[in-house]
Amino acid sequence: MTDTRFHAPERLDEAIGLLTADDEARPLAGGQTLVAMLNAELLRPRAIVSLHRIAALKGVERRAGGSLWIGAMTTHSALAASAELRGAHRLLAEAAARIGHEAIRNRGTIGGAVAHADPSADYPAALVALDAEIEIEGPRGKRSLPAHQFFRGFLTTALEPGELVTGVVLLPGPAKAATRFEKLARVEGDFATASVAVVLGLDAGRVTSARLTLGGCGSVPIQSIEAEQIIAGHTLSDAVLKKAGELLAAAADPIDDVRGTAAYRRAIIPGLVARAVRSALAKGAA
Amino acid sequence: MVTTPTISITLNGTRRSIAMSATTRTLMTVLRDDLGLTGTKDACSQGVCGSCTVLIDGAPARACLILTATLDGASVTTIEGLGSTEAPGPVQQAFIDAGAIQCGFCMPGMIIQATSLLRTKPRPSRDEIRHAISGNLCRCSGYAKVIEAVELAASRIAP
Repeated sequence: MTDTRFHAPERLDEAIGLLTADDEARPLAGGQTLVAMLNAELLRPRAIVSLHRIAALKGVERRAGGSLWIGAMTTHSALAASAELRGAHRLLAEAAARIGHEAIRNRGTIGGAVAHADPSADYPAALVALDAEIEIEGPRGKRSLPAHQFFRGFLTTALEPGELVTGVVLLPGPAKAATRFEKLARVEGDFATASVAVVLGLDAGRVTSARLTLGGCGSVPIQSIEAEQIIAGHTLSDAVLKKAGELLAAAADPIDDVRGTAAYRRAIIPGLVARAVRSALAKGAA
Repeated sequence: MVTTPTISITLNGTRRSIAMSATTRTLMTVLRDDLGLTGTKDACSQGVCGSCTVLIDGAPARACLILTATLDGASVTTIEGLGSTEAPGPVQQAFIDAGAIQCGFCMPGMIIQATSLLRTKPRPSRDEIRHAISGNLCRCSGYAKVIEAVELAASRIAP
């Protein structure tokens, strides 16, 4: 059996060229999923194109207009600790801090996690709630997609052959925002049984806008415009939160798996949503 | 740009050239099979159990989930770098003194993780210790003594 070839280019166009030339080549970011799959012999790519030397994929930069660009090779640990993630963007730091364990967060990257698109992972719901843009580059050039259009299904994204996630762009959120990434997992470090990502826009103590997204409750992050309208427009009584949670539970499309049954997930969603919104409000604007 | 057949790392304080016999070999495989550093334990190979935890540039990482070829220029510390049978490091000695070692298989990963915790947080609370070792599974379920060992190490290192 021939050994897998290993490439470590310094330039992004070289990496894209290698991936485009060989449909059995796989890009390697932090390796926290890919190497586990190699170890389990689920994959035997003809070539691995490691992205670790490519400077264009690294860093966190503030852009004109208040957007924040996050390079694809940024680790979960770096995001969890990043002082650049302020206001609504704190949501992403909260999600990053809940991924796996410290040793995993020190190596795993946002680009790798986004491209892998595990519906139980923590970033997809957070990125959809933040209306993030996924930056892509491939053999036909650059493009970007809103997160909710990027995630297409279980481990399935809008990436075409030869394309890579090069970064994530967070658009400016509400001037005053409260956030919460609420995750229910069987044990510390596990994937979510269900998660809720919340961004509330605040004005003089009133909730003026709301983004709520469920993770682990369908093949892609689940949204409900009706639930968001209820949260944004009303005094947040228990009844209002219950109604919003029921709308999200109805929009969910969970499966039975090792982390819980579909029925269990539907049953816990309203409580998790209420807890997430209340926690965000208790924490206040960041 | 293609395969680097030889990489250079600083392993337990010593600069080493490592010839890559195969490009997809993980750090764990190279440490155990090529270099004979069998203190780093191989259990799940999925990054879940924590028994292969090492420090890379000072930060905990799973040796089973890293392709060695990506580590050119990095500094790696394994359990062998923290002390020896004759002269155990302070965290190793505290684990012995606290009676934290049962079958011993998870201990290298636990001690690496605890060492990293105490470097960043010299006097951690019990909750912080629990959180820090939550990614290190002990199938003897000897967690209580492990937590006591980390507290003992903390009291000795930062009295």
